[in-house]
Amino acid sequence: MSGFMRFPRLLLSFAKFSLASEMAFRWNFLMKVGLELLWLAILIIFYRTLFVKTDTISGWTETQYLFFVGCYYAMEGVIETFFLENAVEFSELIRKGDLDFYLLKPVDEQFMVSFRKVDWSTAPKVFIGAILMSIALYQLGWQWEIGRVLAFIGLFGGGILLAYGFLLTLASTSVWLVRNQSLMELWWLFTTLMRYPREIYQSGWAWSLWLFFSLVMPVMLVVSIPAETMVRAIHPFWAIWVVISSIAVLWASRKFFRRAIQSYRSASS
Amino acid sequence: MSLEPAFVARPHTGLAGVVQSIAKYVKILKVSLVERMAYRGDFLLGTVLRFLPMISSIFLWKAVYEGAQVDSLSGYSYSQVIAYLLLVHISRMFSSMPGLAAGVARDIRDGNLKRYLIQPLDLMAYLLSYRMAHKIAYIATSALPYIGLFGLCWGYFDTIPSFQVFLLWLLSLVLAFFLGFFFELTLGMLGFWMLEISSFLYLVNTLNFFISGHLFPIDLVEPSWLASLFKMLPFQFLAYFPAAVFLGKVPPEQVLPMIGLQLFWIVVFWATARVLWRFGLKRYSAFGG
Amino acid sequence: MSALIQVQNLCRTYKVQEKSPGFLSSVRSLWARKYKTVEAVKNVTFSIEPGEFVGFLGPNGAGKTTTLKMLSGLIYPSSGTATVLGFVPWEREDPFRRSFSLVMGQKNQLWWDLPAADSFELHREVYSLEKTAFKKTLGELTELFGVERLAKQPVRELSLGERMKMELIASLLHQPKVLLLDEPTIGLDVVAQVAIQKCLRDYNEQHGATIMLTSHYMKDVEALCARVLVIAQGELIHDGTLASLAGRFGREKILRLHFEGTAPPSWIGELGEATIEGPVVQMRLDRSVVASAVSRVVAHGRLIDLLVQDPPLEEVITRLYAEGAIQSAAASSKEEAP
Repeated sequence: MSGFMRFPRLLLSFAKFSLASEMAFRWNFLMKVGLELLWLAILIIFYRTLFVKTDTISGWTETQYLFFVGCYYAMEGVIETFFLENAVEFSELIRKGDLDFYLLKPVDEQFMVSFRKVDWSTAPKVFIGAILMSIALYQLGWQWEIGRVLAFIGLFGGGILLAYGFLLTLASTSVWLVRNQSLMELWWLFTTLMRYPREIYQSGWAWSLWLFFSLVMPVMLVVSIPAETMVRAIHPFWAIWVVISSIAVLWASRKFFRRAIQSYRSASS
Repeated sequence: MSLEPAFVARPHTGLAGVVQSIAKYVKILKVSLVERMAYRGDFLLGTVLRFLPMISSIFLWKAVYEGAQVDSLSGYSYSQVIAYLLLVHISRMFSSMPGLAAGVARDIRDGNLKRYLIQPLDLMAYLLSYRMAHKIAYIATSALPYIGLFGLCWGYFDTIPSFQVFLLWLLSLVLAFFLGFFFELTLGMLGFWMLEISSFLYLVNTLNFFISGHLFPIDLVEPSWLASLFKMLPFQFLAYFPAAVFLGKVPPEQVLPMIGLQLFWIVVFWATARVLWRFGLKRYSAFGG
Repeated sequence: MSALIQVQNLCRTYKVQEKSPGFLSSVRSLWARKYKTVEAVKNVTFSIEPGEFVGFLGPNGAGKTTTLKMLSGLIYPSSGTATVLGFVPWEREDPFRRSFSLVMGQKNQLWWDLPAADSFELHREVYSLEKTAFKKTLGELTELFGVERLAKQPVRELSLGERMKMELIASLLHQPKVLLLDEPTIGLDVVAQVAIQKCLRDYNEQHGATIMLTSHYMKDVEALCARVLVIAQGELIHDGTLASLAGRFGREKILRLHFEGTAPPSWIGELGEATIEGPVVQMRLDRSVVASAVSRVVAHGRLIDLLVQDPPLEEVITRLYAEGAIQSAAASSKEEAP
């Protein structure tokens, strides 16, 4: 009954019950989906506004940028659907000293903390993002290349792992730091670094930001690399760096998480 | 923040009443200032964090202007766009009412309104004075960090407004406070008819955020009919209008009429809130609270 | 030969960091911390055999919950050892976590908006329970707790008592050998409390599960526990039956006398302070003088009824905590305890 298949099955159960739970409040759910669509509209209007004024942004053409937007939207969709709500709750439980539920179950705590709730209201973002990306590809007259597609999928996954690692680490700091800013606010700040092509930072003093957030804390790579791999050029150095750093960040975040749990258990009564 | 008055004294009339209101007012103001001071380290950090996304905007718009290879887009130079985004923060400082609508709706839902049925207390007057005191405290304590940040970004302000424009700017900010207040109050009143209001509020606030010109100047919005639409709505006065006045983007002959329009909308929302309050309260007492 | 739960010189001392709110104070605290030391559990030793139903009494902050949390592996002890079912709890091995349950009163583990049945199903997945065996267990438990009809209703629509029953069912679905309960009946009305007491008793009898129960309510402990551990200010001050507790610490007896006629004899006040209601007299007397008082009343008064009782247990315990008989009792109990 144990073994690796447990985790996907558990995830399926969490997904199923989260959906049932959200359906109990249909009006709320509709409002949340409406909110996501509104944000999409804002994103699109912003994008259109920019490209009426100019033909390129730091080398990204209009259709390439559309692909970027779709990629960002889909990536945000995955993170918000699976991880964000759980991270916020984890932060809250730490603050209230109420992590018992996770610690008592015979399942790895990190899994429980990360996947307990699935936010279905943001799930459509993934599909809408995919649609935007498809439209962009169509407008580009993009030719099917299996290599690119596989690289894209791999790097998209790498981006998700990077984002997950950062989010988990951020949430775990709640054990040591008391803050007034909510996790959501801090995460929003984080995402401002990944929501535009990183080439815009290749200017003036922003080069230092570009260097730091591409090499040391590779937030800027999360959307940029998968997107450019698909519609612009493949840069082997950055692609490999995404793979390496995502594994490293995943490993480090797990260690950090466990350290946080340990500290929580030592301090608790 | 609930609808619980700081202390409930028997309201006096005439001069005694005025003195009493001022005393109550000063008390709330003092409390708010103390609150803010206790968290000033955090507060400084919060202010800095609020401005950090500006960095992305600064470089994004730089890339846009470089790509467009023109100096001005819809009448805005690059530094003016950045100056606009900075000024919108100040507009926001005046017009944002965090928790107002949600607080009103929550008190309606939790049934805390009985005293307003019985006593001659005015909910709206109470809330307004409370918010005014808090806003003053907030602005006073934000002044230093904001001045610091604006000093840092001084380079983006290449036109300094005339004294007259400056005064009009201040006026539009004060009016933005009242407009924001009555708008949020009206939203909160909807709690009489809508049980689960929080997600609806979130939606409206996001819409407001965009339509009022927080993301970028309304003048830049494409398609242009959308920009014209936004300029017909009252929400522009919450963020866009004061910033545009400061930057001289509003033709001098239009400024006063627009301020008049701003006043008009304040009255509209005030009246709507009052009407909703009256009807809502009736409905509320009919259901036994 | 070793007991199911064995605790030896368990200590839990922790430093409470005085955290002021705000980010900058947190950052500052990373290098300059202010601490306060709390000794929550001091040298607690006891052992529990399989199938026992043990009560754990003590005032607020005495260390009951801390001890239970250590036995659950949630927190580390500062020193001392404990084994539960042969495992060291704080190593939190999977087989250990599968064989016990901790239920804390007023803490909800079930999904709020879903029927309890869904939470149970999720529980089945989490514990990897086989489907048919699970269904059977679930059926038995819902019958035992009398909540068959309620399993399909969303948990938020249930009353407090019903919710607690569901929580208990969820904790028993994986058939734990050890059940740890922390104030399970807190906040419930009397009817619900009695119902839950009955269910726990039945479960203990039918399945032989070892149960440790902490409670404020003497009724719970009186109804369920043959054996009681009393902990105060982190120290174990009594380990034995309830009766022996009263016997050890209760210095008084309550006398209830019902005389013939309309009023008691006039000399009744000489025996001690008395509450008189018509012919009925209620008095509290020190244990040492009860015998002589009784013989005098029997010899010279005309009685219809006579009752000699221990004071209510609550009172005994309350007085116990308050008077600081704790210190001396702790010294003497270390000689008496098994």
